[in-house]
Amino acid sequence: MMMLRGIFLFLMCGALLSVTGASVAVADEDGFVIDVSSNEVGITTGFTGSSFTVFGTTRQTGDVAIALYGPSREVSVRHKGQLLGMWMNTDSLAFYDVPVYYDVALSKPGKDLAKQSLLIDNYIGLNALEFRYKGKKSNESKAARYREALIRNKQLAGHFPLIPKNVHFITDRFFRADFTVPSDVPTGRYRIRGFLFKDGALIDQDEIYFRVAQVGMSANIYNFAYNSGLLYGIIAVILALMAGAGAYYTLRRD
Amino acid sequence: MEVYLPLAEMTVPAEAVIALGTGVGFLSGMFGVGGGFLTTPLLIFMGVPSAIAVGTQANQLVASSLSGVLGHWRRGNVDVKMALIMLSGSVLGSLIGVLVFKLMQHIGQIDFLIPFLYVLILGGMGSTMLFDTIKGLFVKTPVKKRGSQFYKKGIWRRLPYRMRFPRSRIYISALLPAGIGFIGGFLVSVLGIGGGFLMVPAMIYLLGMPILLVAGTSLLQIMMSSIVTTIMHAVANQTVDLVLASFLIIGGVIGAQIGVRVAKYVSSFYSRLILSVIFFLIAVRLGVELFIEPADLYSVEVRE
Repeated sequence: MMMLRGIFLFLMCGALLSVTGASVAVADEDGFVIDVSSNEVGITTGFTGSSFTVFGTTRQTGDVAIALYGPSREVSVRHKGQLLGMWMNTDSLAFYDVPVYYDVALSKPGKDLAKQSLLIDNYIGLNALEFRYKGKKSNESKAARYREALIRNKQLAGHFPLIPKNVHFITDRFFRADFTVPSDVPTGRYRIRGFLFKDGALIDQDEIYFRVAQVGMSANIYNFAYNSGLLYGIIAVILALMAGAGAYYTLRRD
Repeated sequence: MEVYLPLAEMTVPAEAVIALGTGVGFLSGMFGVGGGFLTTPLLIFMGVPSAIAVGTQANQLVASSLSGVLGHWRRGNVDVKMALIMLSGSVLGSLIGVLVFKLMQHIGQIDFLIPFLYVLILGGMGSTMLFDTIKGLFVKTPVKKRGSQFYKKGIWRRLPYRMRFPRSRIYISALLPAGIGFIGGFLVSVLGIGGGFLMVPAMIYLLGMPILLVAGTSLLQIMMSSIVTTIMHAVANQTVDLVLASFLIIGGVIGAQIGVRVAKYVSSFYSRLILSVIFFLIAVRLGVELFIEPADLYSVEVRE
């Protein structure tokens, strides 16, 4: 028994050493690292949006792109047509793996950064947002129209950027990019990816995660509603009954 | 002041929501209607998802119908047995309503169905009331103690499960009030409206209930069915936003106070006239929108 434990501990130590050793080595070699000013956007009852900064350093000079991806979802784009003179949804197309929130900062215009295919693969820049869709590949022109409408609608909602933000180089090794998110920013785990380009080639990248989540009373209400719907409903009813009875007795004049 | 709605996951101006609640409370204090027909479309107009608007409105209806029903209760104008029979139908109606809502959401037609039903119901009610009110100016009809004797005729007599309602002093098939309750429950869960303006005439003309008992009984049934609907929405869809509901209810309490006071200075003729015009205007506003080509023909919906 004791021996088994000894072997286990020995193996654990070895594993830990190799893991930490590896990660240190990676950071040392590449020297391209990004981080964010806060790891969480906390949504409180008075939340009106938030801003944060992504910054980083690079050992070699180059062009930097930083992209922010919200959680991926399936998104339906619907098209309205006329039925008996009334406008209603008559057609739709569903796209897979669309980030519910997306923003990007570039140190120079996307077309000067790298080849379009490289940008598309990593969703860098607005022109690179090509989502996969359900259905026949032959319908490419329809998909293009629906994709454009998807991006336009998300831009209007403030969940996709109208223009890319700037990556500012403070020195030629140290850069930062400022982001803001609106009050209706979708909650979930966000991925921030930094890309280092040189002469059109992707030479390094780094990624970090951060959370957008409700905190405080907001979070309590949300969790309560989703975890115990029945009790939540009953309490909502009791509160309403109390308010209704209160209203009646304060109104009563006689 | 901006306030974040935890279930709608968006921010709304608290002042606007309280003002909306006050306006609706004013209407309910003045005309004795629930006012859901105003809240749901205006919340949707403010950008609140229709599912949250309807679910939360059902919760608000619990508050407003209770304060209404207490007044009638004190004067003894409630037929509890009738309300319970109606409730049995309305539980079924609200269950089917919740399912229809989900189905319509799934196929992307909920944003068409809600205004469309509003146009039909409010347009129909508004024009009928307007017509009757104006006709009443020229033709004096004697006030009846009971509605028409329609319920005594034809197929209505042959329906099974006849039952005595001692408080209303009628002997009718239980299917009739249950059927009316069914429609009421359906309306609460799909549109977030109590449907009192539909049920009241139905109870007078189809059931032949004494007019005195109709308002209190329909309010009791609305209260019970909105309790059931609130809990159903909370369990099935998580669409009852407590923050939104509290602001609506606070506004509603204030508005009802003002409404009841103002009502004393307005004759029933004018109050019916104003109410029918409001119904009619909302129907026209929503109806026109159905026919105007939208600025963007495309819309985007994130699937959960």
